[in-house]
Amino acid sequence: MKSHGSLIRTIAAGCLCAVLLIGCVEQSDDTIVVGLSADITTFEPGMISSRDNSNIARHIFSSLFALGPEGEHIPELAHTLDVTEDGTGYIYTLNEGLTCHDGESLTAEDVAYTFNRIADPVNRFTGNAPGFVFTSIGFQNAEALDELRVQINIERKNPIAFGLITEINVHCKDSYEQMSLDEAATSPIGSGPYKLASWTRGSEVVLEKVREPANFERIVWRIIPEASTRTAELIAGNADIITNVVPEQVDAINESGRAEVQIVSGTRRMYLGYNLSEEHAALPGGDAIQDPDVRRALQYAVDVSTICLQLLGVECERATGLVNIQNANPDLTPYSYDPQLAERLLDEAGWPRDDEGTRFAIRMQAGQGRYVNDVNVVLAIAQYLEDVGLDIELELMEWASVYTPLLRERSMGPLFFLGTGGGLWSPIYDMTDIAQVGSGTNYTHWSDPRWFDRWPDLVNTDDQDEQRAIINEMLEVFYDDGPWLHMYFQPDFYGVSNRIQWTARRDEYIEVFEATLR
Amino acid sequence: MGAYIVRRLLQSIIVVIGVTLVSFLALQAGGDPTYLFVSERASAEEIEATRIALGFDRPLHEQYLSFVADLTRGDFGQSLSYRQPAMEIVLEALPATIELTFFAMLLALLLAIPLGVLAAINRGTAWDGSITTVSMLGQSIPSFWMGIMMILFFGLYIRLFPISGHVPFLTPLIAGDFGTAFSNLPRTIYHLVLPGIAVGTYSLARNTRLVRSSLLEVLEQDYVRTARSKGIPELRVLVSHALRNAWLPVVTIIGLEFGFLLGGVVVVETVFSYPGIGRLLFAAINQRDIPLVQAGVILLASIFILLNLLVDLIYVRLDPRVKLAGGRG
Amino acid sequence: MTEVQINAEAPQSGNGFRAEMRRARRVMIAARWPVFAVLFLLVAAIAATLGGLLAPFDPNRQNLMLRLADPMSVGPDGGLFLLGSDALGRDVFSRLLYGARVSLTVGFAAIAVGGSIGITAGLLSGYFGGWLDDAIMRLGDIQLAFPFILLAIMFLVVLGSGVWNLILVLGIGQWVTYARIVRADTLSLREKEFVEAARAMGDSTLSIIFRTILPNILAPLTVIASFNVASVILSEAALSFLGLGVPPDVPTWGSMLAESRDTLVANKWWLAIFPGLAIMLTVLSFNILGDWLRDFLDPRLRERT
Repeated sequence: MKSHGSLIRTIAAGCLCAVLLIGCVEQSDDTIVVGLSADITTFEPGMISSRDNSNIARHIFSSLFALGPEGEHIPELAHTLDVTEDGTGYIYTLNEGLTCHDGESLTAEDVAYTFNRIADPVNRFTGNAPGFVFTSIGFQNAEALDELRVQINIERKNPIAFGLITEINVHCKDSYEQMSLDEAATSPIGSGPYKLASWTRGSEVVLEKVREPANFERIVWRIIPEASTRTAELIAGNADIITNVVPEQVDAINESGRAEVQIVSGTRRMYLGYNLSEEHAALPGGDAIQDPDVRRALQYAVDVSTICLQLLGVECERATGLVNIQNANPDLTPYSYDPQLAERLLDEAGWPRDDEGTRFAIRMQAGQGRYVNDVNVVLAIAQYLEDVGLDIELELMEWASVYTPLLRERSMGPLFFLGTGGGLWSPIYDMTDIAQVGSGTNYTHWSDPRWFDRWPDLVNTDDQDEQRAIINEMLEVFYDDGPWLHMYFQPDFYGVSNRIQWTARRDEYIEVFEATLR
Repeated sequence: MGAYIVRRLLQSIIVVIGVTLVSFLALQAGGDPTYLFVSERASAEEIEATRIALGFDRPLHEQYLSFVADLTRGDFGQSLSYRQPAMEIVLEALPATIELTFFAMLLALLLAIPLGVLAAINRGTAWDGSITTVSMLGQSIPSFWMGIMMILFFGLYIRLFPISGHVPFLTPLIAGDFGTAFSNLPRTIYHLVLPGIAVGTYSLARNTRLVRSSLLEVLEQDYVRTARSKGIPELRVLVSHALRNAWLPVVTIIGLEFGFLLGGVVVVETVFSYPGIGRLLFAAINQRDIPLVQAGVILLASIFILLNLLVDLIYVRLDPRVKLAGGRG
Repeated sequence: MTEVQINAEAPQSGNGFRAEMRRARRVMIAARWPVFAVLFLLVAAIAATLGGLLAPFDPNRQNLMLRLADPMSVGPDGGLFLLGSDALGRDVFSRLLYGARVSLTVGFAAIAVGGSIGITAGLLSGYFGGWLDDAIMRLGDIQLAFPFILLAIMFLVVLGSGVWNLILVLGIGQWVTYARIVRADTLSLREKEFVEAARAMGDSTLSIIFRTILPNILAPLTVIASFNVASVILSEAALSFLGLGVPPDVPTWGSMLAESRDTLVANKWWLAIFPGLAIMLTVLSFNILGDWLRDFLDPRLRERT
């Protein structure tokens, strides 16, 4: 198909170009095109929440420090950080001569303004910055100490505040004071290497270079929701990088000779959660999963390796808990697939098969269209659980409008499928999801004191070894009796054109500053 | 005539209000949308504050009445997810969709007429058979599937047409930038071909059969036979007598056609990554962005109603036998 | 829309019926195509009712190790994947058979829902006129002014997707067509002599509407219904594409086709071709049947379908 297709192709394309003199431009060398799957809603730093959205914003706004691909600290607008004695004041010293895109100079006052503006309740921002970063670090306020030094005050000592603060997009004060919220959402005036040139909602975002580091004059982010269309654009040479390649299309891309798929083991933790709240304990099957022995039994029931290999097409990184594997407890090994053992443990836990071969019925809920091949993965999990005698009532829901409200209310389940973003730079960052029983991200309502009582010790110790010991101890509890059926770290699939040199990161950040032509 | 139009327009207001009521109730029926507009770690107080700020704490009838009150002042409200004036966002996406539906409609009508005529005057021959069969096939392929197949074949394999995207023509035209608009036009059309075919095929197939059957019927009529027996050349009979009357049923469906094509647009815009109103509203419904959905359905309903009014008026022109009666839309 | 009037047909009688059937058979055989259509639909109907017995595998049984198997390859326990297996290793042939049941049920049930609402509304509207007529017709206008797919999306997003919700939504999407046609026919019939006669004999209003008028307007509706079954099956496929069709563990032709789209570029043709063919032949059959019925019943009906 490939060999004699190309002649027809060239002739056909050639004729059409000659006749119409249109649209057949080969890609220009100073532009890189990235195909994304999700739509972009805003450039307001306080409102940005989706990964794709913040990836674009990341090129428009710089931050004080950044995190490298493996979690290393990289100075950006600031070059030095000092932390006050009690650990609640972060003093950053900025580089000299910084400016924003409109020429306004960027000083400590601007940084303080950026932080305080996001936290200002009048603005009602609900993005990642106020909703996740600020609530996690207990942001108090920010103040300029002098021209170049800015102090960020947080509620209490926090071992992961540094990493979280890297997520804040910095901009200048005067320009944002003059803009209405409407204007700020559509015409950002940033501090990063690129500025926004144009934005066509639902279609594309074009950025233009303003300063180094930036190898391409222009970045075009195209929104292409349909997977086959993204793949086609990549193979046709109209896109340089595409996200979320469907596993079934990997071979087609690799065999095209024009692009290759980079599969990286991501940091997103995929798991089957158990909702242990009181209301769910009253539902069918909800009582069974209250027992840690039942939960442990089910760890052996699902063949995670086969799911990865067959449905995702890769050998994925197996999870032993909620922490990314390089920071996890090294003594723990992933549960093996052993359905007989699972059945025996379920018998012992007091849930034998009845006459129809059923141990207990239970509802399992999941959103769809969010994670790599999620519908099929969920169907496969259900099949494995049914094989050991559970009667699964599966509910696959529309993600945004049906599953999200359930997540916010923490009322999905009793079994639910979810993936939550993690990091490589600190085990505590990954553990923070379940920092408090009542935390909005403790979807499981898990309340084991062996975990939650150790939390203050973990946060307050300065001794690295002691901290590591506490972490390992907690992770072991989570491994044995935790509220998750541990699955895998989501592999991420990026299609990359042979035209460019670019390496995908593991943490879902897409940075093309360093990308070059081959 | 004037009174008729005024009456139709007054009725339309009722219809538009009804449309907003239906979509309001539908979107509210799923429960309190507040949760979609708070961050994942929001505290109970924050959620409550957001609920009050968005007005979802008020009784439903109050929410709806205040929406209608704002409407009468020309205020369509703010999109909840974009935090921009809802109508502006919808109007921004409309031109691309108009281009797509217009192109598809053009295709569905302009190709349907010659094909239908060809089939009718060759009734019973291989021409007739193949046109009829192909149009039946055209009526049985889901548009998303056809879209993907065309992308793979015309876009990727023989590289004849662009795979996805949109080049604006109407937007610069409306902005008064004629230079850009007309220099864009060839590329606009080039990008419209595949999505246009995907949207228009079903209608094209249906219209072809409609033209064929109504022409066959007209050809049986006495006045056509009379004309033929007088020795008037076949082509003239066809054009001056038969086609004129065969047009009528086609004109009747144009108005409804627009609404129908818009339906296909949601799917096709997704496949071709086309920045139109269908995809926008689909996302807005998923996000329960009520103001944005309302602005969208008001706009689409108004266009639909005006178009149908126009069609009815044209119909009267074409066929003097029809009188403007009761005035149903 | 401007109405196109048709003449009401003569009241039906038991005697004429048998003759009509004979004529139907004769005309159908002469036309040839309708015979194929009927034959195909018969096969589909058998698949729908007996699918469970004919299917070699449980349509939802997964085999992750045997996924995306080519047609005619060996399945689990030495069985045969006649038409290959899908992305979860489920047997395409078995799913196709089960899919016939759900797809055809959705098609017919949606028409039944839409038809009964539409016919009742049309009868009431046409017979009583006045404010009731106004209200019903305005309601129809509201619905028509809404692109149907948006209405369907709205309801399915909120109600959640499921076979019954789908039937309800697709059915509601159809009622206006029926209501308008029935209304127009009722308007012309209610002044006819045989209706006057029934009224003079003291029949109740309900009896006049449903016993005297209804039987005389049903025939043209079957034509529209046969076209609509086809469009309902297509709508179901489109909604599946948007993730709003039936739940993923319920096989339908539309959802199978929608699921196949990711593997098209990888040349797994059997996932798309077989459900695609099933949809195509069904839609084609109903269209042919509709065409034939229309010509058979009344050529003047054609302007409204």
